[in-house]
Amino acid sequence: MEYFIQQLINGLTLGGIYALIALGYTMVYGIIQLINFAHGEFFAAGGYMGVILLSFLSANGYLATYPWLCLSGAIILSMAYCSLLATGVEKIAYKPLRKSSRLSVLLSALGMSIFIQNGLMLTQGVYDKAYPTIFSQGGFDFGNIKVSYMQIVMLLITILLLILLNLLVFKTRIGKAMRATAQDKTMSSLVGIKSDRIISLTFIIGASLAAAAGIMVGMYYGSVGYTMGFVPGIKAFAAAVLGGIGNITGAMIGGFLIGMIEIFGAGYISSEYKDVFAFIILIGVLYFMPTGIMGENIDDTRV
Amino acid sequence: MIQEFKSKGKKYLIGLVWLFLLLWPLLGINADGTLTFVKAFSVWLYIVCASMIVVTIYIIHKKGLTLKLTKPLSSARNKIYAYTASMPKPLLFSIIGIIAFLFPFFTERYAQDVAINVLIYICLGLGLNIVVGMAGLLDLGYIAFYGVGAYTYALLNTFYGISFWLSLPIAAGFSGIAGCIVGYPTLRMRGDYLAIVTLGFGEIIRIVFNNWMQLTNGPNGILGIKPPSVIIPNFTNGFSLEYLYLKKLHYLYYVALILAIFTIIVVARLSASRIGRAWEAIREDETAAEMMGVNTFSLKLLAYAAGAVLGGIAGSFFAARMRFVSPESFTFIESAMVLSMVVLGGMGSIPGIILGVIALIALPEVFREFELYRMLAFGASMTLMMLFRPKGIIPSKRMGVRSEEKEE
Amino acid sequence: MKFKKLKLFILTIITAIFISSAAFAETLKIGSMGPLTGPYAADGNDIANGVRTAIAVIEDEGGIEGFDKIELFTEDTACDPRQAVAAANKLINNKAIGVIGAYCSSATIPASEVLAEEDVIMITPASTNEKVTERGLKYMFRMCGRDDDQSKAAVKFLTYKKVKTIFIIDDKTTYSQGLAEKVAQGCEAVGIKVILHDHVNQGDKDFSAVLTKVKTKKPDALYMSLQNSATGSLMAIQAKRNGIEAIMLAQDAVYHPQFIEIGKDATEGVYLTFGFMDAETEAYKKFIAKFKVITGTDKPGSYSAYAYDSAITLLKAIKETGGTDPAKIKEAMLKMNYKGASKDISFKENGDSGSSYIIFKVENKAFKNYWDPETGKLFSETK
Repeated sequence: MEYFIQQLINGLTLGGIYALIALGYTMVYGIIQLINFAHGEFFAAGGYMGVILLSFLSANGYLATYPWLCLSGAIILSMAYCSLLATGVEKIAYKPLRKSSRLSVLLSALGMSIFIQNGLMLTQGVYDKAYPTIFSQGGFDFGNIKVSYMQIVMLLITILLLILLNLLVFKTRIGKAMRATAQDKTMSSLVGIKSDRIISLTFIIGASLAAAAGIMVGMYYGSVGYTMGFVPGIKAFAAAVLGGIGNITGAMIGGFLIGMIEIFGAGYISSEYKDVFAFIILIGVLYFMPTGIMGENIDDTRV
Repeated sequence: MIQEFKSKGKKYLIGLVWLFLLLWPLLGINADGTLTFVKAFSVWLYIVCASMIVVTIYIIHKKGLTLKLTKPLSSARNKIYAYTASMPKPLLFSIIGIIAFLFPFFTERYAQDVAINVLIYICLGLGLNIVVGMAGLLDLGYIAFYGVGAYTYALLNTFYGISFWLSLPIAAGFSGIAGCIVGYPTLRMRGDYLAIVTLGFGEIIRIVFNNWMQLTNGPNGILGIKPPSVIIPNFTNGFSLEYLYLKKLHYLYYVALILAIFTIIVVARLSASRIGRAWEAIREDETAAEMMGVNTFSLKLLAYAAGAVLGGIAGSFFAARMRFVSPESFTFIESAMVLSMVVLGGMGSIPGIILGVIALIALPEVFREFELYRMLAFGASMTLMMLFRPKGIIPSKRMGVRSEEKEE
Repeated sequence: MKFKKLKLFILTIITAIFISSAAFAETLKIGSMGPLTGPYAADGNDIANGVRTAIAVIEDEGGIEGFDKIELFTEDTACDPRQAVAAANKLINNKAIGVIGAYCSSATIPASEVLAEEDVIMITPASTNEKVTERGLKYMFRMCGRDDDQSKAAVKFLTYKKVKTIFIIDDKTTYSQGLAEKVAQGCEAVGIKVILHDHVNQGDKDFSAVLTKVKTKKPDALYMSLQNSATGSLMAIQAKRNGIEAIMLAQDAVYHPQFIEIGKDATEGVYLTFGFMDAETEAYKKFIAKFKVITGTDKPGSYSAYAYDSAITLLKAIKETGGTDPAKIKEAMLKMNYKGASKDISFKENGDSGSSYIIFKVENKAFKNYWDPETGKLFSETK
């Protein structure tokens, strides 16, 4: 039982990260039907901005005196940085292609992904970068179950961001405009919604969530590397599809599910085949529910 | 001309400021707690200078000042087009054939090696073209079939000593079966669900290769695979037949050439056939195709199987050429590369895909001179090519216009 | 028509570049191969830097008679067999006499087959898989140790520590899995119970599931066979966080300054097997001094010294023979016996140069010589 609970906690932590990345995929997909391959790279860029800012602060001694202030400052700044990056990528690589076939945008996204990844490598070096220690590695002990402070901080930040996002999308005018654009771009622009601006905004939100995930991953695992965006990117994409791509609640559920499947697959059956389990469940779910768990309206003309 | 600068200037300036904002934190904030501006600024200045030149050329071009230069060039190009178009097809093909045949005689190893890669990827690209370009099914796990083909030959050869030519149809068969297995559950899905499911299958097959120690030797891969052989008569002791293993690069080049020509013929015949047209009908509008009496179920499955067979053949050759297979050659990024070749070249068009393959295989090799900047340049050029030719280098003539693209 | 022309055009340009670079006959050309992009780029960089250092040292000593300068071609293999073969072919085209590389065994093996066709000498500074030298290739040499020797050292150490049970984790590469299997076999032979031999995937960052498993099984020792030092730090951090108290033993790919830099406190007390390197020797000091000039750091990666020695050996052999005949260079290399930066260098007939694995321990954020499997004694005792 202890084993089970420990693994459950592990799964929740990992799932939270996937959920945050998956949200960016799903929001961008929902609004312009693009699988944004560069999204994993926003996640890596966020992680790198975190390490750059935090080691700068720590070298100047601010980190030791005001840890919380520095951490939140670093998160906000790197979210801003990734928003900037995402806007640029969107304006350069996706916007001119909005009217051409979806595969060309996909390829353009792939090119951008390779570009950003190698840009990070060239500016930051090929070696992994270590995060400065902010919180002690300790945690709470419940008998044999260990919950580290980092895990709690991560879960709290994840939940906070998810709540904020839900409020934004479902309770504000901007959110309403986003949903309208996702449903019908032509119609929504007829009623006065500036669809270009809304699309940029979606990219910004998605990228900043990925950036937050990047910092948290960096702090939790202790380091970032320039290839870190690729594998979580694919897993998060799977999570987004599992939940029903284009559906925000679905992406959260999908993210946590993929995290859990991975951890329990590795913990109970075999860790070498854990990705196989994740994909088999994904394929199984899609076979019986072809539009994912939460569903999505797809019409026949797509693709 | 100044007018032009003014109209573009604002956007351009914003872009430069944006670029600096992106660059500076990466280069200017140091881990030892200091801030530097010089490094980021100098890198930025280089980019500004380079982009200035490009923008100036672009504006001059827009103004029509380069017309004097480009006019003779474009007229010469048109002449060549017209000339080749007027040439009888068999003559055209035989010229290409002769050039391809003579290629190893005036090139060195490295060029031959790159050429073999190009030929393998032509097989792969054309195979994927059946699935993506003709039937319109997005497949992100295509490399798995390549892997199945490679492993089939590797295992048959190392365990049973079966020769390359004999195991080629077996490998093709296995890949075809794998194609059906992957294809079957995906038939119910559309669009991007299809993408992730095929990606998942691709990863599953790779992970199985990596973990099934008894059969595939896991990450160690399979060593000691024999290259393709031919039987040649030997007259030294009377008359006997003996195997000649084609180890030398230029022999392998010819084998690859034969396979590529075979693939091109198969795909060209398929696309001109009833089946090819049915696939295109499915691509353009599945529901309408079904109403017209096209059996979408079996045809989609057939598309997967046909694509897989071609991938398997290419895979067998890959194993025979490398004489070594390991799961690292069959990762997702390879699938993405093959897909890029198809899209970049122009979906559904055979010459386009061949050009796309050449572009994507030769580019990283040309960029080898840039060393570390190689992949950076590659990524940028991929995006740029898509921006300038979103339909591919040579778009297919029979590609319909989608309703949603016309809308806006 | 036009596509054929374009292809020809591109390829002629490529060949033209080579031909023009081949025009200077009196430059000595050597190559280095390694992953310069992709997940193992860090290790490829270490190797290239080691070779660069060696060339600088030889040039400082007056270069090689008969050649104006030494030119180095660094090629990227990305740890991918296809790219490794392309890189090997390119080096052959560039008329490289010898090649230092590659890193991953899965890249070294196919590349060496290509290089063997043209009698190019290949010295791998980092591929420890036995198959590298056991295929009977004429010009294949290895500077580092072999997996089977390393596993023997590890098992000896485990018996010395009176370990009863062990949990083995590897990350499924040719190298790491091969080594882990050897350790498992060795452990069973001496009566150490292998509780489980588990695997993680390359590129994973989260090992919480497998480490929770380790925690509940309570082994005496945890053996980590990983391809990359950063992965090693990740595992060490997470193991500490999970409260695992077993002895942690890792191997040579984890031996890298980066391991301690990223893992920080969590790496304290981790044991590693790595070739014995005497930092006090003249040769090593010379290497470090030049390495610092070239790269700006005096903390070389784990394979930099091996790459340095490989290049020095190759260049020395060329100097001795005064020409570029591979057979003669091989002969000279086999005769060689001198103190290198990484170890005493002398090659066996099959190209191996012997192993000198000892146990290191991380103490106060540095690798310290800890235990010698040859004598069975702690280094602190022998001093």
